[in-house]
Formats: sequence, structure tokens, C-alpha cells
Amino acid sequence: MIRLAFICLLCVASLASAAEREPFDDRYCTTCHGADGRGNEGVQAPRLAGMEPWYLKRQLENYRDGIRGTHPDDIEGVAMQPMAAMLTDESIQDIIEWVGGWNYVPAEHTISGDIDAGRTLYQPCATCHGADAEGNEALGAPALAGQNDWYMVTQIRNFLAGYRGVHPQDVYGAQMRVMTTGLNGENDINNVVAYINSLSD
Amino acid sequence: MPVSRREFLNLLAAAGGAGAVVKAGAALGIMPADAAASTLDLAAGNGRSAVILGGGISGLATAYELGKAGWDCTVLEASHRCGGRIFTVRHGTLIDELGNRQYCEFDDEPHMYFNAGAARIPNTHRTLLSYCKELGVELEIFINENKTCWVQDDALLGGKPVRNIEYTTHMRGFVAELMAKAMHESDMDEPFTEAEAETLLGMIRSFGDLSEDNVYRGSFNAGFASGGFLNEGVQKDIIAFRDLLKTPFAMTLLRTNEGETGPILLQARGGMDRITEGFLRQVGDRVSYRAMVASIQVRDDGVEVAYDQDGARRQIRADYCFNCIPTHLVTGLDHNFPAHYVRALKFVLRGEAYKAAFQAKERFWEKQDIYGGISWMNNRSQQIWYPVAGIHQQKGVILAAYDYGGGMYHTRMTQQERVEAHLADGEKVHRDYRNLVEKPVTVGWHRMNHMLGCSARWRRSFREGWTGETEDHYRTLQAPVNGRHYLIGDQVSMRSAWMESALLSAHWAMNDLDRRLRNAPA
Ligand SMILES: Cc1cc2nc3c(=O)[nH]c(=O)nc-3n(C[C@H](O)[C@H](O)[C@H](O)COP(=O)(O)OP(=O)(O)OC[C@H]3O[C@@H](n4cnc5c(N)ncnc54)[C@H](O)[C@@H]3O)c2cc1C
Repeated sequence: MIRLAFICLLCVASLASAAEREPFDDRYCTTCHGADGRGNEGVQAPRLAGMEPWYLKRQLENYRDGIRGTHPDDIEGVAMQPMAAMLTDESIQDIIEWVGGWNYVPAEHTISGDIDAGRTLYQPCATCHGADAEGNEALGAPALAGQNDWYMVTQIRNFLAGYRGVHPQDVYGAQMRVMTTGLNGENDINNVVAYINSLSD
Repeated sequence: MPVSRREFLNLLAAAGGAGAVVKAGAALGIMPADAAASTLDLAAGNGRSAVILGGGISGLATAYELGKAGWDCTVLEASHRCGGRIFTVRHGTLIDELGNRQYCEFDDEPHMYFNAGAARIPNTHRTLLSYCKELGVELEIFINENKTCWVQDDALLGGKPVRNIEYTTHMRGFVAELMAKAMHESDMDEPFTEAEAETLLGMIRSFGDLSEDNVYRGSFNAGFASGGFLNEGVQKDIIAFRDLLKTPFAMTLLRTNEGETGPILLQARGGMDRITEGFLRQVGDRVSYRAMVASIQVRDDGVEVAYDQDGARRQIRADYCFNCIPTHLVTGLDHNFPAHYVRALKFVLRGEAYKAAFQAKERFWEKQDIYGGISWMNNRSQQIWYPVAGIHQQKGVILAAYDYGGGMYHTRMTQQERVEAHLADGEKVHRDYRNLVEKPVTVGWHRMNHMLGCSARWRRSFREGWTGETEDHYRTLQAPVNGRHYLIGDQVSMRSAWMESALLSAHWAMNDLDRRLRNAPA
């Protein structure tokens, strides 16, 4: 048996004021994000396993503070936002520790595109995300290699359409908005994501 | 001389095309047989084991049937409760909606409950009904259409609520008048004999309650403006045809009582979860709660399942596996399913239903002659359901919103916004609604823990229906993986969103396995 990280604030909790009440389980990340945070295309929830703790922290805080996931057309973000709204700094730390216990499993590839064209398109991205899409904490850029490709497609589209990265406090999001303008249309998006896929083969 | 069968069919063929012949042919055939529920005759389990993933009705029925045949069954249920989309909310119930957890505060009374999931049992859902009988689940009649209920649309008569019976009576009257006119002015009566044409016209007249001259001049069917018992009844004013056509209800109201939601509908007395409890009385000791499946590995000699419970990862191995976890959650598990199976799992989309309810401080609808049934509103809350349970008691629980097809509109709102939306919508039908109701509960199925959806959506569009591709995926998911893992539930049926389909799917899987085991060389 593998012990799961014990999470004091996030495990089965009961309300002190109503002791007879059905206890609830606050550890629900895996309902959407899949077993061991592997990501679930069925509900469009991305892989968390292997995600950098600093990136996870920033995004959970962004969601909680309404910096991400408030644009009505950001369908998946809008679903995530209320989950984060109730988090405290402490529970965010607990989640990060829990997620840290999951093994990194590169996501299955579901998108095909022109990898050579994608390589060229990826060059500007490499400055921050790294030549192997391994990410760069100093620049605040998460790893892309191994992330669910359908998720990356959605996020690029969201940046382009202004569903993500428009909040004045979303500094990194604003950068991404500028960078994604180099991608013209669905083909470009698929090609660059196909290239990122090829880096985790 | 009586018309011969052939002559009769020819007549129908002339009037209705070939389709009519086929149907009438069946109707004139042998007398109908008694309705038969799907039943199982499983071979003895001989110590075989099954692990059942999910305590939905299909999983529980599988545990029950296999248990009767001597199998060793274990049910793993992720939630604190069984029943899945059979979910009755009453005093103290935890509504485990992600991001919007609630505890129901209704008064603790037997009639104060709300069926947030399944609520209606059509009389033709024989398998479900026969389980209710077998398991001792008491049933009562559910009232779906009650013509005394209201219809409200801002575009109709300045938003004034109108009784369903008024609306539909006038609509039938005007439509009948048109039909009667058309029969006279065109050759529409051509294919009929004089006698047939006379019958048809008579039918049209009575359908619309037309006067002798085939004109609609109002009808007592719409109710009395005054009088009716000791004094002569006074007819209500007619609502102009033009006005009736101002609301899209023109297209829907006359068929809410048809098809699967037509009479007779039933419900479990005291709440639909009495059905779940009926199964649990038989197999409750086989269920492991808060046991969330993480991995399914199908082997040649059985199935290995890993699940999380009490903060630990646990393993179970069984000879066979029956799985009613929704497809869109199965895709997030660790599994070794073949690629075409995974493609089929991903093809199925998730539904979005939404329901909400209020406790009413008094049964204000009964003061308006309403006992059960649905008021229809042309706004986002759409429906108000009045309870059959607790007639003439002080309080009751009413459904305040039901969006079956969409649901995301309210799901995306906060609890406060949802409640305000239903109050604002409902007070267009019931004056003082806001002060008469309290203790709201809302259920966005798209966000319910361990469900994240309503019912499987197979069809890409209603017009397109079931395409060949859809059906291929469906057959893929119906077939066992390596002969060991069966996906079950209404998701593996051509008619999702019914408990009957969930049961029939489980029966199909058990029958398929049973047949294979019987045919297997010893
Ligand atoms: C709003 C609404 C209205 C409806 N109205 C009607 C109606 O009037 N009449 C009717 O007949 N039907 C109705 N239905 C449909 C009916 O409720 C379903 O068809 C039926 O209950 C489905 O049963 P099931 O066995 O397929 O499983 P489900 O009820 O889908 O159960 C699946 C189970 O799997 C569990 N699970 C999920 N993930 C895991 C995991 N990782 N590990 C372990 N367990 C897991 C869930 O907790 C759940 O208990 C309605 C449904 C809804 C939502």
C-alpha cells in the first residue's frame, strides 16, 4: 500500500457546530484532474502530477483571487475558479504537498501537427519555457513538455481571445498574450503543440 | 358488410403512406402479451468474484443479482452515499457540489424532500417497477401534467400567468377551427369516404370544442369565470389566437404529457432514494464507501482495481468487473483499456442538468387549486413542481428550477445568484413567492462530486440522431474488455437519463457474461 500524503486541513472534515452532520471530504482535486492528478480529457482538466510547486501556487492564488477563471468564455477556468475560491494559504500549501507526491507521467498525445513548422514557431517560446520545454522558474515559465496537449491548445486559444491574461495583476498572463500573437490560426497552434509533444517522446 | 383487414390497410395506406401500414399491421396482429420485465437466470457463481465500481443503481442491481446467484461481490463507491444520480435531498442531507457545498435545512418531516436527480418512473419501465416490487419499495402516483398549473411568459398578456388549461383549450380550439376550414376548402377529405370524413370532422370539432358551424367561441374546458355549481357557469374570456402565438409554449405545451413523461408516472413514496435503500437492504454489507477507484487493470485471469480510502491506496482483485463510473471520469483513471475503447469513452459527452428547490412555509399553490404538477415559465428557471407528498399539510417542498437540456447558466452562478434568479423568476407566477419560500437548495450536476455531469450524451445533434459512428462506439463500450470488464449504467444504452436503461444495461452485461461462462469449455 502506498501512503498518500496526509493532509490535515484537506482530509475528511466535520463541522464542529453540527457534529451529527455527514462529514465531507475536501480532497476532491482528483475528481476532475484524474487519478494521481494525471489529467482527464473527459472533463478537460489538466495534468497536475509533475507540475512545479511554484507554478501550481501561482495559479491557485490567481484563481482564488479572481485573476484567472473569471471570463465567462473561459469555460474550464470558470469551472475551476469556485474550487479555489475557498482555499486558504495553508490549504494551498497542503495541496502543493499532496500533488508533489504524485509521479510525473507524461500525458498521452492526442494532437497531430507539422512538427517542423512547430519547431520554428516554438523558438520565441523557448526563451522562457526552455529549449526542451522544461520550464524556467526564474522567469516564471512552467514546463510544457508532458502537459496535456488539448489543455495547451485551449490555453493558447484563451490567451489569444483574451479569456486569460487580461487581469491587470496577471503579469505573466499579459506576457503570454503578447507571445501568442505570433501564432496565426488553428494550424499554427496545433503545430507548435505537436512540436512540444515531440519533446517528451 | 364489415371492412376486411386488407381493405382497411389499403385505406390507411392511401391516407397515410406505407408507414401507417406497418404500424397498423402490428396493431391488428395478435392480442398484446403481458408486459414483461427483463429477468435474469444466472448460473451458480461457484465462488466467482466480481468487483463493482460505483454504487449507482446499475452497480447495486448487479451486486444484488450476482449475489443471489452465489457470487462474491464488492461494491466500491467513491462518495459517502450510494445512488449516484438517484439523489433525494431532505433534512441534513449533504449536497456535495464542488465549490458549493450545502447542507439541506428543510424541516425534518417525511414529506419534506426533493428528488434532485431521478424523479419520475414511467409505467412502462417494467424492470425498475419489478425491482420496486421485489425490494418492497412503496410507490405512489406522480403528477407531471396538471392543467390547473400556470404558464407564464413575459410576452404573453403582459406577463400575467395563465392557467395551462386556458392556454391549451384555446390553442386546441383555434387549431381545430383551422383544420375544419381546411377540410372544407380543399380536397383534404378526398381520400376518405363520406362516413370517414364525417368522423374526422367530428373528431376535430370535439378536439377543439367547436360550435356547430365549426367556429371556436371559447369553451368551458378552460374553466369558469364564475358560477358552475349552483349558478350557471360563465365562460372565461378567450385569449386571442395572436396572443397565444406570442410564446414558444405554443410549440411545447400540448406535448408535455406525451411520450415518456405522459401518464402514468410513479415515484417512490418518501423519496426516490427509497429505491437505493431497497437494494442496500439486500447488498449493503457488500458496499465500501469513500472508496475512490484510481486504477483498473484488466488481466487475462481477472481484473485488478486500486482505490483510495482513508488516506491509503488499496488493492482488490476479482474475476470480473462491472463499472458504472461515468465515462468522462473513467478517462481520468489509470487503466489498460485498448485504444478503440478509450476513443469510444472520449466520444461520449456529459450532460448538464440543474435543479433547485425551496421549502415553502405554506402550501400556497393549494389555495390556487393546484395539487401536484408543473407550472411552466419562459425564463431560465423554467419549471415549478408542486409536490404530491403531504397534501394539505402546513409546508411542502417545491422544485424552483429545472433545466434539463442546458443547466450551465445557473451552474456558473454563485449560490446567492442562483437563489435570487429563482426568486425573481418564481414571483412572476406566484405573488409574494419571495416571502413564502425559504431554505433553498441547488444542485448543478456538472459540479457534483464524483459525477461531474448529468447523463451521457451520445448524439451530436438531435437532428442527426444516432449515426453509424455513434453506434460503433456504443457497441464498443457495451462489449466487455478482454471478457473481464463490463461498462454499465444508462451511459451504455441508447436512451440515457433513465433508471430503466441503467438496469437494462446491467442485465445485458450479466446475461452476456452468463452466456459466455455457460458456453466455456469446463
Ligand atoms: C436531474 C436528473 C433527472 C433525472 N430524472 C430521471 C427520471 O425522472 N427518471 C429516471 O428513470 N431517471 C432519471 N434520471 C436518470 C437516472 O438518475 C440515471 O439514469 C441513473 O440513476 C443512473 O444510474 P447508473 O447506475 O448509471 O449510475 P450513476 O447514478 O451515474 O452512479 C455512478 C456512481 O459511480 C460513483 N463513482 C464515480 N467515480 C467513482 C470512482 N472513481 N470510484 C468509485 N465510484 C465512483 C458515483 O459516486 C456514483 O455513485 C435523472 C438524472 C438526473 C441527473
